[in-house]
Amino acid sequence: MHFKTSFRNKSPIMNPLIDELKQLIINALDLEGVTPADIDSHAPLFGDGLGLDSIDALELGVAIQKRYHINLDATSSETRQHFHSVDNLAKFILMRQKN
Amino acid sequence: MSGDGSGKSSSEQGRRTFGASQDIVVYTENGAVDAMGFKRMVDGISLQMMRRTEQRWALVCNDTLWFAVGFLALSQAGKMIILPQTNQLSSVQAAHADAILTDQPTHFGSAVTLDITQEPGVDAHGSVKLDEKLNIELYTSGTTGRPKRVDKLLGQLHAEVMELEQKWGSMLGDAVVVATVPHHHLYGLLFRFLWPWWMRRPIYAPTCTQPFMLRESARRFGRCAVVSSPAFLTRVNDYSVFQAVHAYAGVFTSGAPLPQETAVGLAAELGQAVIEVYGSTETGGIAWRARGHDTDDMSWQPFASVQTEISASDCCVPGRLLVCSPWTWRREWVDTGDLAQRHLHERFLLCGRADNILKVEDKRASLAEMEERLAAHELVNEARMVILEGKRVSVGAVVVLSAMGHVQIAQDGVQAVRALLIKMLRDCYDPVLVPRKWRFVPTIPGNSMGKIERAQLQALFTEEC
Repeated sequence: MHFKTSFRNKSPIMNPLIDELKQLIINALDLEGVTPADIDSHAPLFGDGLGLDSIDALELGVAIQKRYHINLDATSSETRQHFHSVDNLAKFILMRQKN
Repeated sequence: MSGDGSGKSSSEQGRRTFGASQDIVVYTENGAVDAMGFKRMVDGISLQMMRRTEQRWALVCNDTLWFAVGFLALSQAGKMIILPQTNQLSSVQAAHADAILTDQPTHFGSAVTLDITQEPGVDAHGSVKLDEKLNIELYTSGTTGRPKRVDKLLGQLHAEVMELEQKWGSMLGDAVVVATVPHHHLYGLLFRFLWPWWMRRPIYAPTCTQPFMLRESARRFGRCAVVSSPAFLTRVNDYSVFQAVHAYAGVFTSGAPLPQETAVGLAAELGQAVIEVYGSTETGGIAWRARGHDTDDMSWQPFASVQTEISASDCCVPGRLLVCSPWTWRREWVDTGDLAQRHLHERFLLCGRADNILKVEDKRASLAEMEERLAAHELVNEARMVILEGKRVSVGAVVVLSAMGHVQIAQDGVQAVRALLIKMLRDCYDPVLVPRKWRFVPTIPGNSMGKIERAQLQALFTEEC
């Protein structure tokens, strides 16, 4: 349970987006007993961090596309990077919304 | 084992001659490796392997290009190839290899590793030579929670590939093979690596983990064959990723039956039925079916070389499905543990399991075994597992804590105890099988293992807790 994001991110749009993403992850993946505060924005979503699996990755991709109407069209290594953490996801969505 | 698919004589078995040296063998994310470059890579590693004394090599690569190079180099050097169940340290250790050939050497602590990406290529004459007697050790989830070892000879894998080629080779033509499944399980090993490699179809190395990646591949390559699974295909909620209809030479799925709705939806979008392959690591491919939009025929057609028998005295009742094929070990009959019923001719219908093994998102799970493992933990007295159907199928755990468990939960809270138990299970099971919902209860509801108890357990998860 860390709140590192609020200190690290300078962009004023980032924090609401990060909170929104955490809630989206919890809802879309039906994570039980996890609150937004439990998710460290910088920790890996898959593997050792939040422990999401390959099905979660698929569900999350679909949910993000639906919610933010952005086209995911990255290469697989870029996608791996975008999906690494909540922070990376937020940056990616912001970048996409600007374009 | 020749690469031209023309059914060479047995004297030529064991070698695959590359085509023109500029033919593409593997497409990477941003580039491509042609036959000459690929052979240089294989020969370079192979040379290193021949100098090494270790015999049993675990091949653990994230990238399919390195996996292909490693597999062929190990084969060529006559080493035993071990494909652990996952790339996690615990499953690699469980396979007891002498050394690990990998593209991620920092993951394996003090184990003897060789970084496949650091070996220089060499120019050598001749073709890649493979011994059909070469042993490949695969691991599957089995039914015990411990990885179960299954041995295959390279020649058996080749026989299976030849059958696939005979069935669907002309349909695929020169399509690039794109996959959403890993290469180290039998289905991926055959469909995304050995089949295209032996038949000189280019392989797309990155694994498509998101639906849009299929569209990208179709745009890049023109014609593609897709090697996928129900877990993936049921989540392609926007079939427009398949819009480039003519770009798909064929879509394959395996691991579990595809839901009727997905099969029909995809068939309509693709203009062709998805090909479902039924098989297991132990048996290899058994049968296939292709359900178009105008059929509700659920029956499976065995592959031409596969014999099937149903262990029931009456053809109207389901019995255990037994199979024998050139790719079952020593051509012995194997009990699939699946219940089946004879349909028209040799076709059959699948009717569930003969034991209590279930599939959770295409992965085998033994709830009883998971219950035992959990109950053996010092914080737990008793445990029951249930399958929870929802947007995704998952496992729920109902736990009665031990005295020590009660102390711990009072001290550190429910979350901490739950995290501890999850961590323990993650070391033994595929992440998809680890319980996502937990209920800590004073006693297990009901007192038998019957249906009533299961229903009561299910109810614990539907109530708001």
